[in-house]
This record gives sequence, C-alpha cells and structure tokens, in this order.
Amino acid sequence: MIDTAELVDNATGSQSRKVFWDKDVYQLELERIFSRCWLFLGHESSIPKPGDFLTTFMAEDRVILSHQADGSYKAFINSCTHRGNQVCHADSGNAKAFVCNYHGWVFGQDGALVDVPMEARCYHNNLEKSELGLKQVRVESYKGFIFGCHDPEAPPLQEYLGDFCWYLDTIWGGPDGGMELLGPPMKSLLSCNWKVPTENFVGDGYHVGWTHAAALQMIGGELAALSGNRADMPFDDLGLQFTTRHGHGFGVIDNAATAIHVNREGYQKFLEDNRGKVREELGPERERLYMGHWNSSIFPNCSFLYGTNTFKIWHPRGPHEIEVWTYTLVPRNADDETKRSIQREAIRSFGTAGTLESDDGENMSSATYVNQGRITRQGRLNSSMGVQREGPHPVYPGIVGVSFIGETSYRGFYRFWQEMLEAPDWAAVHANDDNWDEMWTNRNFWPDRMASNPDTSA
Amino acid sequence: MELHHAISSHYVMEARLLQDLQYREWFDTVIAEDIHYWMPIFEQRYVRDRRAEPTPNDAAIFNDNYEELSQRVDRLLTGQVWMEDPPSRIRYFVTNVEAYETAPDEFEVFSNVLVHRNRRQTEVYVHTLGREDKMRKTDEGFKVFSRKIIHDARVVQDKNLYFFA
Repeated sequence: MIDTAELVDNATGSQSRKVFWDKDVYQLELERIFSRCWLFLGHESSIPKPGDFLTTFMAEDRVILSHQADGSYKAFINSCTHRGNQVCHADSGNAKAFVCNYHGWVFGQDGALVDVPMEARCYHNNLEKSELGLKQVRVESYKGFIFGCHDPEAPPLQEYLGDFCWYLDTIWGGPDGGMELLGPPMKSLLSCNWKVPTENFVGDGYHVGWTHAAALQMIGGELAALSGNRADMPFDDLGLQFTTRHGHGFGVIDNAATAIHVNREGYQKFLEDNRGKVREELGPERERLYMGHWNSSIFPNCSFLYGTNTFKIWHPRGPHEIEVWTYTLVPRNADDETKRSIQREAIRSFGTAGTLESDDGENMSSATYVNQGRITRQGRLNSSMGVQREGPHPVYPGIVGVSFIGETSYRGFYRFWQEMLEAPDWAAVHANDDNWDEMWTNRNFWPDRMASNPDTSA
Repeated sequence: MELHHAISSHYVMEARLLQDLQYREWFDTVIAEDIHYWMPIFEQRYVRDRRAEPTPNDAAIFNDNYEELSQRVDRLLTGQVWMEDPPSRIRYFVTNVEAYETAPDEFEVFSNVLVHRNRRQTEVYVHTLGREDKMRKTDEGFKVFSRKIIHDARVVQDKNLYFFA
C-alpha cells in the first residue's frame, strides 16, 4: 500500500526520495496520471494535410496520430488487434491505410479494420471487422497543440489546462499569430525518473547559474550575470514564478526571451514588432510575459522554454529511464529565415548536443540512481525555497511566487501529483476544485507587497 | 596510395588530439574558417516516402559555422563543465577511409567512425558514425571545410552528443 501523504509533504515542501525510484509508485503513476491526464501528441503543423501521420508515445504506449479527410485528428494504439504486432514503424508520412507486417491486416486512417487477407476463403466472412479497429484515444487540440487522453471521465483539454490557458494564450495563440513546432524531433534515452527533468523545467531557476555557468559565460549577454549565482543580483525584481490548479507552471525572467540565442536579431525584431499588439489586446501584465524567458512544464511530462524555444516530451520507460523528444517552437508568422535561425539556436543550446542541455544529463540521472541505496532512499527531497513568499495575485491566475529563483512551481507540481495519486477517479479530483490552493496560506502576500511597492505592477 | 596514407594519418592525428582533450589545438589544426559542421536528423521513413533528404535548412543536431564551433570549444575550456570534471574518456576508431580529388588540392573523403565513451565509474556509450568530409591541402596539412556526420541511431543512447567527430 502506498502512503501518498508520506510521499509529498505540502506544508514543508518536501518529497520522499521514493518518488524517483519505487516501482510501485511508478505503476500507480501509469494508472492514475498517465492513463488519466492529457498527454502531448504533436502539433498540427507536423501533420498539415489529410493522410499525414506521425507515431509517438503516451507514456509507454505507442500511438499513431493521423490527420483525417474531414480535417479532424484521430489517435489510436499502434498495435494490431490480431496478434498484437506494432502496425506502423515510420516516424511520419502520409498514408491512406496502415498495414500490419505480420499477416497483412489493413487499418484505415481512422484506425478501423478495413481489410484482412483471405477474408472470404479462410475467415469465411465471419470476422467481425467492425469490432477489431485499433483502440482509439481521445484527441483534442488547443491553439494547434494536439493532446491525447485515455480517460473518458477526464475534463476537456481546455478545462484540464484551466488557468494555464490565460498564460498560454500570450504565446501559443496570441496577437502575434501564435506558435507551431518544427521537427523532426531529436530522440535520446536518459537514465532518470521522468519527474527530474519535468520539475527542472517547471520551476528550477536556481540551477541555471551553477549548472550552466560555462555556457552562460560563453554566450554572454543578459544571462551571463547569472553565471556563478552572484550575490548582488536583485533576483526578486527579475521575474516571477507561477503554478496552477492542475500542476502546470513556469518561471519567467523579465526581458530575456531571446537571451540564450547567440544569433537573435530576427527573433528579437519579431517580438519588438508584436509587443504593442500584445499590450493592447492582453494588457501590460501579459506583455511582460511575452518579452520574458519562460521555463515551463505542462503536467505531467511536457516541457518547453519560451524564448529559447526548445519543446520537450519526457516519455517514461519505467521509473529509471526516459526517452526525450525535442522539437523547436517557432512563431507561425515569423519569416522562414527567422524560423530557421530560431531552430538552429534552440538546438545548439538545448538539443542532444546542446551547450546547456548537455550540462543537465548527469543531474537528472544521478538524482535518480543514488536512490538505489536503501538508506539513501529513506531520505527526503527539499523544495522549500521561497515558502510563504507566494500567494494568490490580483492579476495573474493561480499562485504566484515572488522570484524566478524559488520553488513555487515545484510545490504546485507535487501538490497536483499527490492529488492525482490519491484520487480514485476524476470526480474525486473535481471535488477539490474550490480549495486546491489552500496550502498556500499567505493569502495577503501580493496585496501587501503591491501596497508597499506601488511602482511595480507585480 | 600516397594520398590515402596522408589523409588516414591526418585522421589518426585528429583523433589523438580529441582523445587527449586538446580541443583548441584540434580546432586550430583541422578546421577551416569556412567550415560547415553538420549532423542532420534522419527520420524513419517508409521507402515509398518521396520527401527530400534533410538539408542544412532543416533540423540538425549540429549545424555550425566556424564561430559557432569555436564557441563549443570555448565552453569545454571554461573549467566549469561539471560533467567533464573528472573528464570522460573517449576513443575514436576511424576506418574505411576513401578519398577522391575533386579539384586541385581539394578532396572528398568518406570514413566510418566508432566512438567509445567511458565516464564516471561504469558508464559506457558507443556511437557509430558515417562521415563525409570536404577538405583542402594547406602548407600545414589538411583543413576540413565541410563535415557531414551521419549518426546511425534514431534514438541516441547517451546523455548527450557533446563530442567532436
């Protein structure tokens, strides 16, 4: 029996090390998180025409995502309903049908079983093909980003993203035309629990100056000052941190969207050209986010950096390994040269040979594998930085922390993680909708702070 | 035969510099100022798929010019790359060298490269690469001005590909 109260302590901001190691915890995650939450599948820009498809994963399940003749999208499990073989082995393409290699069963673009060899001669037309389609997955998209879900009880995607849509609308579907993804993705294996990179992206501004000291020096510019965590930086005035009802969150560094890019003129100009529209339509608070650099995770296992524009999915492979997929985010309305430049810079910093991403690999794997030791594993993990210096905000939805270097978004991520593991179904999760944020007890933090700093918008 | 020997010896010397962590010397010795250092990403596609092969305008793990490659070298020399302290050990096995003269003192050279990386106590990573170089002969030896690296694995089984090949 798993004691979920022991796994996460919201009051002190700590977690059991078992969350990175235990097989039983992982099995419960597969059941109660990955089989119930919306998981990222792909972007419409990757499969623009009817018949276009891509293959991907939902946790450890292989799925095909296919663009239908009527313009909608369907996804289904990539395993033949005859003897279970994987049906499609291509990464992407265009197909009217998917044919299993073993005995030649033919599935349509929508996953229906449309033909089997020797149906009349050997099945004597007794095969109920209508009951033998590939298992369907719920599919919905938000601003072009397509997600899949196995649970019929799960809320619609937009409700699942919830308050986080207010933030995503700034960048994914904003006045500048929104964003799309460039592939094909890089793929690599990393020996770590899937939550280590997810928590790192959702809320770890702290590691940047230390882990990435070398790359920040090399790049120079705005973020070079972070290198070595210099004590004289006014961190509380440089950004904010956010978390929301369903665990999604991010940190923002003000005025630093393009800071990791060495060659950035085209992208910087695009942002400058569009910030006025963002201010006009969404207000100065979101213009501030539009010009900032975000490190973000969408619960459970999709992360991105807005500004640097890398976009990652951390597919779990058991509790101690993941397969990392990396795309590039680009503004839809940028010119081709700017898109290519963003892609090169995003990959050079956060691809498989990334000048920053390469620094992180050992942090991810060692935080996982040290727990092989039984005594080590009995310890706890701390995420208390900035406790109480956070709360509900009069403008920004969710819970807002005062600095991008803090652990507000960690606390929000593990709060929802624990809630999902505890809940037997989505109805039990919905029952907490009105009091999900009561663990943040400093309710007047922002009103008080804004009264004493009338010059700041936040 | 003489050409083949000269280029093979050049590759052995190049591998030694990298194995000895002499990154700046490697860069100064073998990289030309007009370098394009490129490792494209190849998808798994059906044979019937008629889409074009990746170009330098498409996604690539490396897609660097001289300045960008030089910055990658600088990062390794800062002394603050914690993953490389203590340093990893890397070995290169270069075979199947096949050289063609394409213009006076310019050559197109194909080779196979097996890369073996050890780090920390028990970590082992192996990569096989196809390499297509364009190089020119200079007074000091050969300088590569175009290097296309084909990584054979679709899913890279390593923490990163932050090594030069």
